[in-house]
Amino acid sequence: MKYEVNPPAIPLKLLRWFCHPDLLEDVEGDLSELFKHRYKAGKNKARLYFWAEVLLLFRPGIIKNFQPFNNKINYDMLSNFFKIARRNAMLYKGYTFLNLLGLITGVASSLLILLWINDEVQMDKFHAQGENIYQIFRNMKQSDGDYITNSSIPKPAGDLIKAEYPEVSEVAFLSWPMEFTLGEGSEATQQGGRFASPEFMKMFSFPLIIGDQSTALEDEAGILLSKSYAESYFDAELSSDLIGQTILVEGQYEVKISGVFDDPGNNSTLDFDWILPAKQFFIRNEWVDDWGNGSFNVYVTIEDPGQVSAVSERVFNEIKDHTQGASNAGDETLILHKFQDYYLYSNFDNGVVNGGRIEYVRIMTVVSILILLIACINFMNLTTARSDRRSKEIGLRKAMGAPKSSIAAQFMAEAFLYSLIAVVMALVVTIILLPYFNQLVDKNLMINFLEIRTWAVLLTLVVGIGTMSGSYPAVILPALSIIQSLKGGMQKRRGGILVRKGLVVFQFSISILLIIGTSVIYQQLDYVMSKDLGLNKENLLQLQLDVDSLEQLNAYKTELMKIAQVSAVSATSGNPVSYGRSTSSADWEGKDPTKGYEVNIMLTDEDFIPTMQMEMVQGRGFSKEYNDARNYIINEVAADLMGFDNAIGKRLSFWGIEGQVIGVVKDFHMRNMHEAIAPLIITCMNPERSSNVMIRLEGDISEGITAIEQVTELIYPSNQFEYRFSDELLESSYESEQTASTLVNIFAGISILISCLGLFGLSAFTAEQRSKEVGIRKVLGSKVWQIILMLSKDYAKLIIIAFMVAAPVGYYIMQGWLDNFEFRTVLQPGVFILAGLIGLIIGALTISFKSYQAAVVNPVQSLKNE
Amino acid sequence: MGKYSIGEFEEIVLLTVAVLYENAYGISIKEEIETKLNRKVSVGAMRTALNRLEKKGYLKSEFGEATAERGGKRKRFFKVTKSGKEALEQVMESRQKLWSSIPSSAFEFDFA
Repeated sequence: MKYEVNPPAIPLKLLRWFCHPDLLEDVEGDLSELFKHRYKAGKNKARLYFWAEVLLLFRPGIIKNFQPFNNKINYDMLSNFFKIARRNAMLYKGYTFLNLLGLITGVASSLLILLWINDEVQMDKFHAQGENIYQIFRNMKQSDGDYITNSSIPKPAGDLIKAEYPEVSEVAFLSWPMEFTLGEGSEATQQGGRFASPEFMKMFSFPLIIGDQSTALEDEAGILLSKSYAESYFDAELSSDLIGQTILVEGQYEVKISGVFDDPGNNSTLDFDWILPAKQFFIRNEWVDDWGNGSFNVYVTIEDPGQVSAVSERVFNEIKDHTQGASNAGDETLILHKFQDYYLYSNFDNGVVNGGRIEYVRIMTVVSILILLIACINFMNLTTARSDRRSKEIGLRKAMGAPKSSIAAQFMAEAFLYSLIAVVMALVVTIILLPYFNQLVDKNLMINFLEIRTWAVLLTLVVGIGTMSGSYPAVILPALSIIQSLKGGMQKRRGGILVRKGLVVFQFSISILLIIGTSVIYQQLDYVMSKDLGLNKENLLQLQLDVDSLEQLNAYKTELMKIAQVSAVSATSGNPVSYGRSTSSADWEGKDPTKGYEVNIMLTDEDFIPTMQMEMVQGRGFSKEYNDARNYIINEVAADLMGFDNAIGKRLSFWGIEGQVIGVVKDFHMRNMHEAIAPLIITCMNPERSSNVMIRLEGDISEGITAIEQVTELIYPSNQFEYRFSDELLESSYESEQTASTLVNIFAGISILISCLGLFGLSAFTAEQRSKEVGIRKVLGSKVWQIILMLSKDYAKLIIIAFMVAAPVGYYIMQGWLDNFEFRTVLQPGVFILAGLIGLIIGALTISFKSYQAAVVNPVQSLKNE
Repeated sequence: MGKYSIGEFEEIVLLTVAVLYENAYGISIKEEIETKLNRKVSVGAMRTALNRLEKKGYLKSEFGEATAERGGKRKRFFKVTKSGKEALEQVMESRQKLWSSIPSSAFEFDFA
């Protein structure tokens, strides 16, 4: 039997549909001939090729002219569509207003969010070599077996990569941000800046306005200044004369200006007003040459992307390999992370990159899409619900011979018109609101109309919204039958009502979801702010101060204590509410010698525990009555790690300094609530090496601060008086959560607003439709509240369904968010019930407004006009 | 480019039609280009080029016999018109003019 070989049917149909009839015959012939040739080689391949060829034929020149795009009809028809659309809009002003308001609010919110997202994504993307720059991170094994990751890398590791890695073309060192006093006398100001190696200026695109980019940091006695600082300092136009002039740093080092760079700007995470040569720092700090000490950030450029994995494999164990057997050996590994990704992906979970701000970017993207969707749903619902208003028009058009496609095109055109107006007006609203929004999110966003991308986005919005909101009416409305629509009777279409109800459920689910999100974020922030930290963060002033000598410090403390508002003072190596300074050198009785542990070290004086108002669990605090220079206090986590049931008197050493434990302090939070409490050793051996003074205030705070400033100027005249409150410092570490909280808050409000606009329109429509029924019921003795209940309960049901959809989804999402925190609040049912109630109450109010109006109308009014 | 405008791919298709003379239809043109010039040609790309050439008046076409192999569809045979020939000549001439005016040292690559 001969087997008939036929080309696949679906692509053939497709071809017949779109191909120009003049070309169809021979093209189809060609294709089937080709297919039969190929069929001999393999039938699947032949089919695949057939598909590909058909799809490749879908191009101008082959495609036929489709009817609706036929030019002549198009123009007249369109102008008629727009005329009718305008008349309808004018006739039902309230409804037009509702429709547009919803769309405008939705589009404006989305535009704002899009701007925010765009800015987030653009962060650090301006460096010419950005694609090739990698930052090295160090994973340090903790007592609980987990890794924590930080960016301070032992300098020898950077040197090694520079010397021995052929794949790496450049290695740059960059210090952590520092504050130095620049200038002298009354000109002196504190400016933030960093130390950097010469390669830094080659690797990153921070262009010099004055000076030579490639040799800028070679001069060890030089300094680079930012444009804005240099302008304010020299109070003049910048010129190359500036090169070689000197400026005083920290009141003692005279350095030459070797260049001026453009301000890093808002799109850079690296921000600085000065750059000093890294060598200056390295000369003065010999400790950086130890493999055991993390110091500067290290950046490398790898030009061949194919080599990245090879480099990261090789660099992984460098620290272990070079510290093996040494006393500073730590269980540490090095990893590479693309520099320009760091802003959005900065969370490390057990040594592996795991999200970061990108989560908020994703959340906001979803929120903006949802809000747009809600706004489009409003449009669909209102248009289809009111279709009886248009039914005569549709019937007449059909009777005159309009095909369904033409009526569909009409409603599409109308939707596009609304969408265009809404986008234009939303643009105006966005521009007006932008300054306030900028304040809110602490950014400098603007709409750049010179960029093609802006126009592309706007056009996409117009087309997207038009298509989305027009599609449903364009399918539903042409389907009305001519006779029924001409008679003007109300047509019950169960399907249509069901879809409409489904859409309302969808809208309210999203709104309730956002309310749940808002309240959980709020609860968690409240929790982290009010949680007992193990110390008292209120009225705790942190003063940055280079202490230098013990006599001076003691004199300073004595003077401070004379101030009425100062109740306690202690010198420390950092603020205990935000502390991280660790060593792997700690050793204790019974330590497993094969394991490396990172333990935090805090240098303080004898007044530390009472000043912080911490609680001792075992033993005693430091005291001047004993010689406590070699006595240590540890926290509970450390005691646990070291396996001490009774820690008192146990032998303990770090940095090679032997001593013993005299007390255990109750755990206090050294970092924000994202992180677990780390083991800590507190010592009072060298108070003069402190860099901070913590002051406990009471009573009139501002008076106290003035008095403290006077004392500081007296005893530390060269010190810039800079202070901050510990609770504020802590609060600022939750910045991204705060921003997210405000944003979600606002957009939850907006989504509720838009949903209610839709609900309002729908309930108005129901009330109007059932006005006769209401009239009859009233005549027969119904009470007003009975009628309100009757009109409202359908929609109330929808909101309850919406709640049942939103609650589990909300639970799942928010539990995931809470998991980012080491210390977190418990999700309580109250949150969900509250969110549901808010949705229900707002919804019910919206509905009952129109229902009430319908219920109080005199039945004569509604019954007399037939 | 003078009064004749013609793209590189169009030129190849036009030349191939001339080469095939009596037997120039979709598949034969496609296969000729694929074997002689060793480049992949999709039916879509070729069909568009043929179409454009016909619109420009460089080609004319007529239907041939229907065969069973083609599912009962007729072949469309193409022929180069007079102005098609002129267009090809003009392209060749302008190329030749350029070639002849290249200085002899332009292609010496060994100075590096």
